[in-house]
Amino acid sequence: MNWLPWAVAAWLLGIGLYGVVTSRNYVHLIGCLSVVQAATYVLLLGVGYRWNAVAPIFYDHPPGTPSVDPVVQALVLTDVVIGATVTALLLAMALQLHKNRETLDPQQLRPLRE
Amino acid sequence: MSPKIRLLVFLAAVVCILPAVGRLALQMPAFGAHPLPYGDAIDAAAPGERHVTNMVSAINFDYRGFDTLGEEFMLLCAVTGTVVLLRGHRGEALEARPGIVRGRAIAPRSEAVALISRLTAPVIVLFGVYVALHAMTTPGGGFQGGVIIATGMLLAFFGDGYPGWRRVSNSKVLDAFEGGGAALYALCGFASMLLGLPFLTNFLPIGTLKDVFSGGLMLVENAGVGLAVTGSFLLLFLEFLEETRTKKPKDGP
Repeated sequence: MNWLPWAVAAWLLGIGLYGVVTSRNYVHLIGCLSVVQAATYVLLLGVGYRWNAVAPIFYDHPPGTPSVDPVVQALVLTDVVIGATVTALLLAMALQLHKNRETLDPQQLRPLRE
Repeated sequence: MSPKIRLLVFLAAVVCILPAVGRLALQMPAFGAHPLPYGDAIDAAAPGERHVTNMVSAINFDYRGFDTLGEEFMLLCAVTGTVVLLRGHRGEALEARPGIVRGRAIAPRSEAVALISRLTAPVIVLFGVYVALHAMTTPGGGFQGGVIIATGMLLAFFGDGYPGWRRVSNSKVLDAFEGGGAALYALCGFASMLLGLPFLTNFLPIGTLKDVFSGGLMLVENAGVGLAVTGSFLLLFLEFLEETRTKKPKDGP
């Protein structure tokens, strides 16, 4: 079952992209984009995992205890916070779109003319 | 492009890429049993060199501190963009009336919700400060603590409604938190340069292992991140909640 974590990451990426491609509503599309992003969390944390290891915090365990990789955890931590704010930015764009064009359906939108 | 053609293009791409993904997944090193040289090097170095026990913070604020500066500016850009898009038009005044969707009743606030919110909000904010302060010893740090503080403050909206929420969230103060936090982080780097050291070198006394105030310059950087994240998330909540109010009569859409 060595391939299972990578299969989960690939599945999340695929199903998220499927949602983006078939989306008929921008709010739904932004949700799908978050699912795509979740694939990177699974991939990174899977790469840094180690069986029978502790969290990379050496308060209770003496330094030197085998731990899971702290580098990918630091990457995912910042990624989560940035992802949340970027989602907010996209939702703000969707809100302004709805105010100006009265629709959230990508199919209904045509390029803006002068 | 019609939805049907778009889906076909997507499926064609999946059929092309899937064999490569499958082959890669089967060729990956054994899950959870392969060497992690970079992480192990940090684990071996950080407790001795920096006197901190939280390796994730050591990476975020010291060994890869320059990356976090970049993340900080991404946060600043995303939040600034949202604020620029949403500020103005509505909800700026304390007495702004709630927007009404036809056919949807506005339910009165239950007293139980108000009581629970008022009781738990200070506890959650205090917990957020605790998590943010203990970045160097136990799991936590400015990123996580800032989000918890902002969530606790949002309970003012559930407990006391829009006027109560507006009284605790002053957008000028939050702007200062957000920009000031990012500036504090950047200034830490320039302070090192003023002393003739490379950018973001840890020049402050690093304290003792397992002490809350260990880590030297990392503490200041962590405070900067905590301020910036708290300010950012509260600004986002503020701008989105303003959108729930009715328009001022003289404004456009």
